[in-house]
Amino acid sequence: MDINQLVQIYLSNEETYESGEIIIEEGTKGNWVHIILEGQAKVTTQTDAGIVTIDKLKKGAIFGEMALLGKVQAGRSAYVIAADGAIRVGVLDFRQLLRDYESLSPPLRSLITALIMRLEESNEKAATLVVAANQKSSAKV
Amino acid sequence: MTSTHENVFPVITLKYRKGDLIIKEGDYGISIYKIIRGKVSILQESGDKEIALATLGPGEIFGEIAFLNKAGEIRSVSVRAIENAVLEVWHPSMLSKEYKEMPPMLKYVTDQISARLLRMNKLIVQLTTQEQKRRKAMERHDPWPSQRRYYRKEVDLECYYRPVGLSPKVRLTGRIRDMSLSGLGMEIVAKNTTSFSHMDGDTFVVNTVLPNGKSVELAAKIMTLTKSETPGKLLLGMSVTELSAGAKKLLGFFLMP
Repeated sequence: MDINQLVQIYLSNEETYESGEIIIEEGTKGNWVHIILEGQAKVTTQTDAGIVTIDKLKKGAIFGEMALLGKVQAGRSAYVIAADGAIRVGVLDFRQLLRDYESLSPPLRSLITALIMRLEESNEKAATLVVAANQKSSAKV
Repeated sequence: MTSTHENVFPVITLKYRKGDLIIKEGDYGISIYKIIRGKVSILQESGDKEIALATLGPGEIFGEIAFLNKAGEIRSVSVRAIENAVLEVWHPSMLSKEYKEMPPMLKYVTDQISARLLRMNKLIVQLTTQEQKRRKAMERHDPWPSQRRYYRKEVDLECYYRPVGLSPKVRLTGRIRDMSLSGLGMEIVAKNTTSFSHMDGDTFVVNTVLPNGKSVELAAKIMTLTKSETPGKLLLGMSVTELSAGAKKLLGFFLMP
């Protein structure tokens, strides 16, 4: 099935954001899963050295699924997904997505959970490295 | 469906020793590993180096990317035991059918997570490599040692020295006559050379006590060996090969004009 058709089935709402506006905070408990329909977003995180961008999400990218499907771990930093230019996002019906997820066998679910935990860890490590790299380049100036 | 499902999985328990490679990047394989005991490091190869992406411990699962990622079946990372480890391994062939028939939206979500993870790992490798290169370049281009190289302070410090690798019980004596952060001139009695080789390139550990009472240890290599004006004595021109940060600081203050 084409992704657009798929999205139509799951789509419960559409939202638009101006550049820089925060769409969601990922890693906090929340049930909203979004898909980018138009434009792009950036994944940022708050660190001691300020806010750093670690990733860009383009059309078709999903976000918000980590809090829904993963285990929210205490002490993990939250990731803020903000609009990078004007953006149109679709809000997906999380109940249906959760039903899909719960229909899976526990082993398959555990794999998806493991994948999400790995992404959280990699995000965190990348953020630390980005901060270190930024500090070095600003120290040079 | 839940508990029976788990029971039918053929699970093998494997033991690995610290340092063993469990998964090799680039290999084919979709087995899933669960850590029962020990720790493993998730690594990505970059040139001849391994860059650590994550450390996993008991209860955690790895190997799932190759199965879940639609590009599939090729290991995107290496995994190495960093402690003796006991792992449960299972082959997800029984999940393949379920995975293929998984609700398409969920599959799409999973693919998206895989893609983000692979992208983040790439970023980690890139930034780590960049940082390592930067450090190397700093070592090569640190402007300060090159400017200081010409500054040698005339000193008269008693010192002990020994060939590198030998026990500190071995003590040859000498006097440091001049020194900088990158080299030193040492006067020794000629008979020191009868018990140990003093050739160009021989490296020694040198210990001395600075006038402020602080002792400094460094390693230095013989560059030149000449006769001293004093009969029976030799002058060693030495280049510093190892100097700890602490010793560098102490010496730095001592050498200030």
